[in-house]
Amino acid sequence: MQMDTNSSQIRLSAVGVVAISLFLTLFLRLWFLQGIDRKQFEAVSESNRLRVIHEEAPRGRILDRNGKVLVDNKTSVVVSLDREPLRKMEEEDRHELFVRIADTLNSLAVPVKVNLIEKRFNDTRYAPQDSVPIAENVDDTVEIYLTERADKFPGVIVDRKAIRTYPYGSTAVHLLGYVGQINDRELAARGGSDATADKDGSTTSSTTTTSTPGASPRLDYRPGDTIGKSGVEQANEDDLRGIPGQRTIEVNARGDLVDVVKVDPPKQGNDVWLTVDVDLQAHAERLLESKLFALRGGRDKQGNRLNVPQGSVVIEDPSNGQIRAMVSYPDYDPASLVNGISQDRWEAFNDPNSGLPLVNWAIGGTYAPGSTFKLFGAYAGLHNGFLTGANAVINDNGVYKIENCKGGKCTRQNAGRNRYGRVNLPRSLTVSSDVYYYRLADKLWNLRGQYGETPIQDAAVAFGLGAKTGIPLVGENVGRIPTPTARREAYEARPELFETGGWGSGDNINMSIGQGDVLVTPLQIVNAYSAFANGGTLYQPQVVTKVTRSEDPTADVTEDGNTELVRTVETKVRATVPFEGDHWGEIFQGLLGVTQVKGGTAYASWHETPTAWPMAGKTGTAQVKGKADTALFVAWGPAVPGIPPEYTIGVVIPEAGFGGTVSAPLAFRIMQPLSEGQLPPACPVADTTACDLAAMAAFEAAKADAARGSRD
Amino acid sequence: MSAFRSRDLSSPWRHVDYVLLGVTLLVATFGLVMVFGASRHFSAAGSFVGKQAVFMVLGLAIMVGLALIDYRRIADWWLAIYGGSLILLAGVLTPLGSLGDWGTKGWYVVGPVAFQPVEIAKLATVVAVAGYLGASRRVDLLRLGGALFLLALPMGLTLLQPDLGSSLVFILMGVGMLVVGGVSLRYLVILALVGFLGVFGILRSDTLDQYQKDRLTASFNPEGVSAKARYNVEQAQIAISSGGLTGYGFGKGPSTRLGYVPAQRTDFIFTVAGEEFGFLGAGSLLALYSVMTWRIWRVAQLARDKTGTLLSVGVMSMLLFHIFENVGMNLGIMPITGIPLPLVSQGGSSVVASCAALGLVQSVHMHRYA
Repeated sequence: MQMDTNSSQIRLSAVGVVAISLFLTLFLRLWFLQGIDRKQFEAVSESNRLRVIHEEAPRGRILDRNGKVLVDNKTSVVVSLDREPLRKMEEEDRHELFVRIADTLNSLAVPVKVNLIEKRFNDTRYAPQDSVPIAENVDDTVEIYLTERADKFPGVIVDRKAIRTYPYGSTAVHLLGYVGQINDRELAARGGSDATADKDGSTTSSTTTTSTPGASPRLDYRPGDTIGKSGVEQANEDDLRGIPGQRTIEVNARGDLVDVVKVDPPKQGNDVWLTVDVDLQAHAERLLESKLFALRGGRDKQGNRLNVPQGSVVIEDPSNGQIRAMVSYPDYDPASLVNGISQDRWEAFNDPNSGLPLVNWAIGGTYAPGSTFKLFGAYAGLHNGFLTGANAVINDNGVYKIENCKGGKCTRQNAGRNRYGRVNLPRSLTVSSDVYYYRLADKLWNLRGQYGETPIQDAAVAFGLGAKTGIPLVGENVGRIPTPTARREAYEARPELFETGGWGSGDNINMSIGQGDVLVTPLQIVNAYSAFANGGTLYQPQVVTKVTRSEDPTADVTEDGNTELVRTVETKVRATVPFEGDHWGEIFQGLLGVTQVKGGTAYASWHETPTAWPMAGKTGTAQVKGKADTALFVAWGPAVPGIPPEYTIGVVIPEAGFGGTVSAPLAFRIMQPLSEGQLPPACPVADTTACDLAAMAAFEAAKADAARGSRD
Repeated sequence: MSAFRSRDLSSPWRHVDYVLLGVTLLVATFGLVMVFGASRHFSAAGSFVGKQAVFMVLGLAIMVGLALIDYRRIADWWLAIYGGSLILLAGVLTPLGSLGDWGTKGWYVVGPVAFQPVEIAKLATVVAVAGYLGASRRVDLLRLGGALFLLALPMGLTLLQPDLGSSLVFILMGVGMLVVGGVSLRYLVILALVGFLGVFGILRSDTLDQYQKDRLTASFNPEGVSAKARYNVEQAQIAISSGGLTGYGFGKGPSTRLGYVPAQRTDFIFTVAGEEFGFLGAGSLLALYSVMTWRIWRVAQLARDKTGTLLSVGVMSMLLFHIFENVGMNLGIMPITGIPLPLVSQGGSSVVASCAALGLVQSVHMHRYA
């Protein structure tokens, strides 16, 4: 009995010890979890229930030099998917939901296909916690319909985002550029989130991710973000892009929004002010477009069809290199691209028959400059001292016989076989005597021991040809200034591609009148003439004057106190072209004569549409094998000694005819109201009636110009 | 048996274990608050708490009633009690029974009330084994066999539901009562060996469904278990751990509030305590359970006879296993089984059974001189 009790007591004590150790275990484990591992689990808890929603900021506006808004923002309603709750659904239920979403959207006149929704749902470019857009720019009625029935569409979010709007339609579209969704390459280049690296979101529990919303670095770009694809939108991306906002929301286990925890509102990007005057831009665009329409379908004297696939107008301020207008035709409507470019449209844009509207031909197109190149021969001959004494004046009987010519075609003629008689340097430019430049080029080549192999090319390069002007836009072409060395090197590299690696008088002669292999962009030739007009300063062309920040981005930028200057764009001088003696004056006299002296190649068209002050310049008609000529005209004004020039204009229209009859009249039509201070204001798209009337008037004027004839 | 206000020093009224009573009431109150906290975000919150309160009152009434009856009278009736509970337990396997949360056929549903007979059967088995072993001083092989049979029968019926967690309770109850009941050490060692081999064999065989094995092995083999089981374990630990020292505050725990923790009113209610009241709250609850366990152990020690000791040890083993398994599962150190936390988890049968068990213990304490 005693033994029994003792044994029973001992056993009971053993049970007590077991109980104590079990409770100790629980206490220890509880302390381990709550006291030691807390931080780690707390982070997991947060990543479980918090979603950080990336809110892209509206981009800054793009303004013209006077503060007129060329690119603005408007609110667009976007339908997107929060994929987190959808992943927890059964495959069939999810598919059924997608079908229901597509069906509903289609019945609300938003064309969305089920396989697009599936594709977006599985899109690995988005981080797993990011929502993916399935329809953009939808109606308010869609928003109301979906938000009222949110419980029927789990995971469907209706949100608002800012999209681009263009008050002046397609005006200046090449300069402004367009925006689109960032692609993988751009994302990588800008160090955006690599969504593919952390795509584990397919499991039902998101707790396996150890990253917390707060700890992940705040990345500027994410898939689906908007980025500038061309023009200033692309070049000034860093100014225009705003600071993205973040909305931290709390969701329950089903993924329903429970609470908004934190809001970092997005900050709109900075406003970019262009050097361009939208009134001048719209005016030039209207006239160029009308001109092209009027020309198209006609034939020149050789019977070549005037296809006029494209055209460019560049207007620059020669005193600082600022671009006042830059027109490239054909154009496109940037507003039609804000929701992305469809495959069909992309193909149409890249069809050569469309004239390649996405290309900014003013900086990307290269053309033989024709007689506008004579400026550089004239400069070279004066600068190296060849055009002095007997060499400065010739008797132009319309034909030039090449010296040391052995066999083949040893004579060259003036265009239209014109005879100009006694021709000095100014007159050679005024009447555009080819013979004068044939002789110059021939002699210089024969005297290359004395003057070097490339005095004319060197002059062209001094004026900035054969190199990018450095305009801060993507897509600038470098052009080409042929030299004996370059030709030999090209031949030696690929002998099978070239007839010869040699260079002779014929090549020098062709080059001297802007033919042969010479290629320039419209901007290059304008910038070169600007350098001459201002007395020899070669500027880097600019398209932006300043960047500002607006306190209230919806208010007028001209309002006092609303804008704060972020930075101004400095004028950049690339080089100086030296002029000795009266060399500048001689050339100036010749170029002024083009419009002011009877016999000048643009004399008739200037008098048809005279500007308030005289203009000096040069026509050019470049031959292109098998095609109609390229019509060029470059000029500046006021061309008055002692008065600083304000505008240099260049008009380049391929497959169009003579520079003097096609491009010069157009240039004066553009410049006349500008010089008189009576530029019609550009009309916003909201005011189409007035615009249509102005466009019709421009079209009639262009037709009248086209009908008239004149010499080159 | 005396009336109220007896001057008799041996009167049961003079020997109420007030500490045990107080701890019981505190835990019950804590439980009601927790059920409210866990269900306040559901539309039917009021009805959950209301029902729980009704069962709590009913349970306390039964506790008082059982405490007043001499436990020896109850033990005398062990065969009837045991037999009745077995009938109820077997009946649940017939078309009269219904499926519960975890896919076990262990419920009777009558209107709005669901009743889980295994909760009664556990207590009835404690009474039966205590009555059976308490009747003789020595435990020979025959009596041991009888006791094992008494344990095995309800356990087998429970396994058929299949409710693995509850059937484990029978084993642990049995271990406690057999050890304290005087079974010789030799037999105990043999039983332990047989038990281990049995568990191993069951895990290797197809007796258990995969999900049951998964749940049982979740805390030892987190990679190999189903996503759902892993999800439960993870969410519970996240909730408890992020509560920290003082918790998020009542009704503010994000994981429980937002519904990330499954079954948080019932099997995972400890997470609500952990997340919203932190170590202070959850630790206090554990401390209350420790005190409760100590007091029951003390009653077992003070009991006037073997039956009383065994009754108390049986109840203690039962509650201890419930507490350790349930809290351990919430803390991620025990496998997931559908075992409620005594007096805290929402569920009428569990509350009533726990109260009744504590009433029996009070009876042992109150009647030790009577």
